[in-house]
Amino acid sequence: MHRNELPPPNRLPSRSTPRDSALYDSLILRTVSRLMMPLLLLLSIYMLLRGHNLPGGGFIGGLLAASAIILQMVAFGPKTARRILPVNYLLLAAFGVFFGAIWGLPAMVAGLPYMQAFWLPEPIPGVGKLGTPVLFDIGVYLTVIGVTTKIALLLVEEPILFPLPAMKPSPVETEDGV
Amino acid sequence: MLYPLVLIALAAAPFALVARFAGRDRIAWGLALIPLAIFGLTLAQAGSVWEGGQVVERIAWVPALGLDLSFTLDGLSLLFALIITGIGTLIVGYAGHYLATDNGLGRFLAYMMLFMGAMLGLVLAGNVLTMFVFWELTSVTSYLLIGYKHDYADARRGALHSLLVTAGGGLALLVGLLLLGQAAGSYELSDILAAGDVLRAHALYPAAVVLILLGCFTKSAQIPFHFWLPGAMQAPTPASAFLHSATMVKAGVYLMARLSPALGGTALWDVTLAVVGGATMTFAAIVAMRQFDLKAMLAYTTISMLGALTMQIGLGGKYGAEGVATNILAHALYKSALFMLAGVIDHECGTRDLRRLGGLRAYMPRTMVITALALLSFGGIPVMFGFVAKELMLEAALETELGAMLSTLAVAAIAVTAGAYLITGWRLFSNTFLGQRSVAAMQQHITDPTPGMLIGPGVPAVLSLIIPLAFLGPISSLIGPASAAIYGKPLEVKLALWHGVNTALLVSLGAIAAGAVLARFGEQLANLRGWPAWMRGDMIFDRLIERTLTGATTLTRTIQEGRLRRYILLTALALLVFVGVPFVGFGISSIRFDLDPQLQFYEILAAALIPVGVIATINARTRLGAIIAVSVVGAMVALLFVLFSAPDLSLTQLLIEVLSTVFLLLVFSVLPVRFENFSAAWVRRRDAIIATAMGFLMGGLVLATATNDAFAPLAPFFLENSLEKGKGANVVNVILVDFRGFDTLGEITVLFIALLGIYGLLRLRQGKDNVAPERVTTTEPAAEPVDTKR
Repeated sequence: MHRNELPPPNRLPSRSTPRDSALYDSLILRTVSRLMMPLLLLLSIYMLLRGHNLPGGGFIGGLLAASAIILQMVAFGPKTARRILPVNYLLLAAFGVFFGAIWGLPAMVAGLPYMQAFWLPEPIPGVGKLGTPVLFDIGVYLTVIGVTTKIALLLVEEPILFPLPAMKPSPVETEDGV
Repeated sequence: MLYPLVLIALAAAPFALVARFAGRDRIAWGLALIPLAIFGLTLAQAGSVWEGGQVVERIAWVPALGLDLSFTLDGLSLLFALIITGIGTLIVGYAGHYLATDNGLGRFLAYMMLFMGAMLGLVLAGNVLTMFVFWELTSVTSYLLIGYKHDYADARRGALHSLLVTAGGGLALLVGLLLLGQAAGSYELSDILAAGDVLRAHALYPAAVVLILLGCFTKSAQIPFHFWLPGAMQAPTPASAFLHSATMVKAGVYLMARLSPALGGTALWDVTLAVVGGATMTFAAIVAMRQFDLKAMLAYTTISMLGALTMQIGLGGKYGAEGVATNILAHALYKSALFMLAGVIDHECGTRDLRRLGGLRAYMPRTMVITALALLSFGGIPVMFGFVAKELMLEAALETELGAMLSTLAVAAIAVTAGAYLITGWRLFSNTFLGQRSVAAMQQHITDPTPGMLIGPGVPAVLSLIIPLAFLGPISSLIGPASAAIYGKPLEVKLALWHGVNTALLVSLGAIAAGAVLARFGEQLANLRGWPAWMRGDMIFDRLIERTLTGATTLTRTIQEGRLRRYILLTALALLVFVGVPFVGFGISSIRFDLDPQLQFYEILAAALIPVGVIATINARTRLGAIIAVSVVGAMVALLFVLFSAPDLSLTQLLIEVLSTVFLLLVFSVLPVRFENFSAAWVRRRDAIIATAMGFLMGGLVLATATNDAFAPLAPFFLENSLEKGKGANVVNVILVDFRGFDTLGEITVLFIALLGIYGLLRLRQGKDNVAPERVTTTEPAAEPVDTKR
């Protein structure tokens, strides 16, 4: 409530940032995050799938994937992060909850309690054993990605907190192809 | 085949929406075939009821709670089901004419169907919990019906009053029914009815009776809860006719009648019902006599009749039971007819104010004849069905076992009420049809409505005449089982028009004579000064609502003043009081301090760095410093997880640590670099004390949970079964997604809801900032349409 009395933001991203509005303007960060992005996403899926037998799982995998996206946001800005992965994260989170919930239903159809597990008899090469708990874990994974990323984007895109240069005429488009 | 009856009505509701298209009157009569079909299907099952049995059906609903959806058709249910669907048929057809120019007819009829389904479910329910579900459903659907003309403030107010009163009573009823079920050991109606002696001797009996009666009295508009019913006449007339005559308000009467064999026979039950019912009956009859609005007049007579029914249940005995059943039918017939006729008059003349009507006999002869028939039955004039019913009511009062004083009072109350009914009826008739042609009548071309619109009121009005003349035998076989259900014992019922000259007849004739004499002075009586407006129940209730809202606002503003630190403070204090106090009292002794004998020095080091991080956070001068210090705490916790072989937790902790650091940096980057201290010294000391207490509480709770033996057996189960049953070697993950998957589902739902909250907070504020000031000023609230019909 003392907002008006405060001094102006001290460390805003530079207004002349070439990419839409990186939170931290650094060539090294941009280069590294560009390289890391696919690796991190792969790692997150790996973590998700191996979770049933080794440390990992939907929650950890989801946090990893969200970190990858947030890293893009920090290095390039929210607009670019949205463009690289054009996903509606709010819907993704909702879908995750829905997806997690529906895999409890097959058991009810069979007359068993909700969320009783079903497994395929043989493991699938490269994926491992597949069953309703794994699918439920994917729901968790998607929810965590959606929630975490959306919160970060909401904060960064909050115009009062971050009066971004994107809201003014900026050289974003011209620099894009470079 | 009972629950399909309810299902048909509920499932038919969406189809009623076709009535939005043109040709509404014909579509409505087509839709009326649905209640007619249910009527027929119910009648088809009546045979076994008339032979003294009942139809019982049961579907398992929540078997774990012993909760079944059970349905029973016995005499009382049959009577109600036939009235509901029979009157419902006529009213659905009638509504097509009444609301022919209203685009919302489809919506209206959909509400009607839903309401009818709820009502059918209520009277057919064989389990008090099932019944309660439908009871609440009637409250909700009647709210929709009463508030149908939602662009009128009065309609909204009436709807809100009815909802608050009946739903409030419903809460009391729920507790009452639960107590009843506890006392009887079952929630099945048949078991409860069989356990009458046990119930009456049970310690919970008085509480259960009081709560159940509270539910019934609010629903059936008994004093002092009567005020919502006149407000409910804001509903379109077809809805009023249905709510008042056959359904909604009879629900309370139904429940009292239903439970009276089990709960009745004590002074608490009998005297309460007799006194409250008698008072309501007399009071409302006198108020009704003095009304000028046709519908208000009828609404008060409804309250009066509900009082009469309640009183008869209280008076008890053979005649009481017969009287209730007969009066329910008689009232449903004449009252639905009268309401629909009031709608006809309103529809044709554009007003239902008695002062603006008059001289309609020349223009609406058919309407006049039907009105006369219905009013004769209403007034209890001989040979009408209302007369038969009134005689039984008087017999019940004369034969009651509640003592001479109550008996005399009841007879006197009935006599006064009967006289007031006559005056009311005469005023209604003479002011509408006789006398000078009124201004309102001259302004437009008034005729009888189309025959289709007169079928609705015509059928029940004619039945009120024909039944006592020709069909008393068949009707006795309908009334008989219903009376037996109220009486609790088999009962031989033979309705008759002529009982010979007895006390009841003399009292009845005396009341008719007195009423006829006084009817001449009806207008003078009506114009006498009434009570001041502030004493009226609905005004008092309005003030009550207002005060409650003001109080709630004040409380909310005190607790939620908009500063995060206040919220945290109150949350912490609440936790300290509601968790901390019981914990210190009962749980603290279960803490054990077991020192691990193989404790390594690096474990101690990692643990010791946590308080260091905390202290560093508190003492940090800059925000960046605080973030780094907090990260130390998180990193050490993650390290501890690693040391105690919990890689999953450690991974999660580290990721969360990274992400929360990012979030903190995002938010803090717009705040000043250095902390400023705005709080007074005592505030900081207070906060320090509360924070320390919270720390000890949470630490103690964790320690108590970890060292409590009660939870120990769980871990081996998970360890043993993880691979075999969960098909996974990572026990933590198997617990998360399989053994405790339902918890996880709850958690991700919470996550999503938290996201919605954050989204709302940030985006709503943005929206508010974006609204240009002129947009706010130009969108003025739509002007209140002038309600010409009032």
